[in-house]
Amino acid sequence: MEIKNFTLSIIVTNKAGVLSRVIGLFSKRGYNIDTLYVGPKVEDSRHSRIIMTSSGDDATREQIIKQLRKIFDVQEVKLI
Amino acid sequence: MKLRGAAIVIETLIAHGVTDVFGYPGGAVLELYNELYSRSDRLRHILSCHEQGASHAADGYARATGRPGVVIATSGPGATNLVTGIATAYLDSSPLIAITGNVSSNLIGKDSFQEVDIAGITMPVTKHNYIVKRAEDIEDTLCEAFQIACSGRPGPVLVDITKDAQIAEVEFYGGSPKALFAVPETDLDAFEKASKLIDESEKPYIYCGGGVISSGAGKLLADFAERIDAPVGFSMMGLSAMDCDNPRKLGMTGMHGTYPAIKMNEEADLIIAVGVRFSDRATGDKDEYRKNTKIVHIDIDDAEINKNISCDVDIVGNISESLSALCKVVKKSSHAEWNALAENYKREAEAKFTGGFNPRSIIRAVQKFTGKNTIVATDVGQHQMWVAQYYRFSNPRTFLTSGGLGTMGFGMGAAIGASSANGAARTVLFTGDGSFHMNLNEFATAVRYKLPIVVIVMNNNVLGMVRQWQTLFYEKRYSQTVLDRVTDYVKLAEAFGGTGYKAANLEELQNALDGAFKSGGPVIIDCAIDRDEMVLPMIPAGGSYADAIYN
Ligand SMILES: Cc1ncc(C[n+]2csc(CCOP(=O)(O)OP(=O)(O)O)c2C)c(N)n1
Ligand SMILES: [Mg+2]
Repeated sequence: MEIKNFTLSIIVTNKAGVLSRVIGLFSKRGYNIDTLYVGPKVEDSRHSRIIMTSSGDDATREQIIKQLRKIFDVQEVKLI
Repeated sequence: MKLRGAAIVIETLIAHGVTDVFGYPGGAVLELYNELYSRSDRLRHILSCHEQGASHAADGYARATGRPGVVIATSGPGATNLVTGIATAYLDSSPLIAITGNVSSNLIGKDSFQEVDIAGITMPVTKHNYIVKRAEDIEDTLCEAFQIACSGRPGPVLVDITKDAQIAEVEFYGGSPKALFAVPETDLDAFEKASKLIDESEKPYIYCGGGVISSGAGKLLADFAERIDAPVGFSMMGLSAMDCDNPRKLGMTGMHGTYPAIKMNEEADLIIAVGVRFSDRATGDKDEYRKNTKIVHIDIDDAEINKNISCDVDIVGNISESLSALCKVVKKSSHAEWNALAENYKREAEAKFTGGFNPRSIIRAVQKFTGKNTIVATDVGQHQMWVAQYYRFSNPRTFLTSGGLGTMGFGMGAAIGASSANGAARTVLFTGDGSFHMNLNEFATAVRYKLPIVVIVMNNNVLGMVRQWQTLFYEKRYSQTVLDRVTDYVKLAEAFGGTGYKAANLEELQNALDGAFKSGGPVIIDCAIDRDEMVLPMIPAGGSYADAIYN
């Protein structure tokens, strides 16, 4: 189980509380957040983009992506 | 039509086919209750004694009917009292809609009287939640809440509505339900891969969970088992998915599984897991569980695949559709020797039982009075495991128990929810003396609404399950598990306006049941059992199937 760093791009609906949903998932399931950036999505005021670096083995990475996709206000999750 | 926000809430519930809601009033939901007052002919409200009881009742209603259960509570303590109920529903994927009032939007964030951030508190235990501060948003939000609670893998949704939003008058558009979200398409290759493993397997074993019940796939699962000639073991949540007369049914697997289910699970060369999440209580040591077997995992929730147990093939999608598609591609096979082994294990297990007044004979005596449609709820502890082991369930949604969270106190509320959906049919609650003391106030609710609930207290005067661990793993140091309470359950029942019986042997139990099943209201039967009775088999926590203690 090799620990690797990876970066996620997460597009979320611009709603109150959405950032705590994303962060809450990480604390609830014991995933790492190494760096975090949140900002507006260019030319789209209804959505925001979160860029996050995290670390974990392959199985953890897959779980993080799948669990993020289950959050109702998360529109898209991409590994970049 | 213009309506106040609070009226829109009630009308939207009615538009969603909700007939019963459970709850408790207070300052922040005065508006809601005021609108409910003039609509009580279209929506029945069941007033609990404590919001926790109401939350379990709404959950029990959902589990028993398959329709979302609705609970209403006021802000602050009313809302926090729901948390255990919401978490219980979350862990068992039950579609619960919790509606809370909150202080007016201008008072939010000021530590106002009875203000709590219930959305923040329940974020980790809801599928989704909302804070609604504008009357204009109530209708759409509530419709979306139903949509989320019932789509895909069901789960609880909380909608917190500020008082000013309940008061303001806005246009109402009818509150009609939205279509459920589409389930992602299943990868067709997966069926080929799965059928190859199934066709090659000599010792296939089906592991059926609560997802099969949610998906209404019990009949399909039985057909599938027939086609591939495999025995079927169950997670606790899945136990009522299959008829008890089906010879393939092995009973519950896992920590307190039945002997045949544990043995067959252990010896299988292929586990076809349907609608399960491989909880630690079901698998024990995960590496050992996985070691000598292949696994096909069928579920609606992609995130369950490879979460607890890695699998060889996964089929993600609606379980009913997946099973019927799989049935079409697998070969019809026969595994006579393998199934004969299961029959052997069943006979061996049966031979061990002794007579007398014990948990098994009590459960079987109660079962003589019930039918396949009777809903049976439990609390949490040894009595719960005995019911899972010995009660012979047949029809989906007839077994209501807190599996994932293991919530003592769940049973009385759940029985009320089920009973209120079930008219004159009797609902049975098996509870423990410890668990019953947690929410026995709700017996008053059952009396008030004349709900025919038969409460069987398996009274060992101890916190039996915890004590069992102390017996086995803590040198019988019975720290705080001996209750030594002198509660008189007959008087208790009578004090609340119900009926009580005491039973110390099978004959007395028989007489009590005769009376209880004729009574129109709730009844308590206090069954004294030996405190040293243990739940066996037991796979010690973290141990593997091979470590199971049988005697
Ligand atoms: C709310 C809650 N608190 C504590 C526990 C831990 N616990 C699990 S079983 C049990 C004992 C239950 O006692 P009782 O209801 O009498 O059932 P018995 O095991 O004796 O049949 C306890 C304390 C729990 N599951 N839920
Ligand atoms: Mg007890």
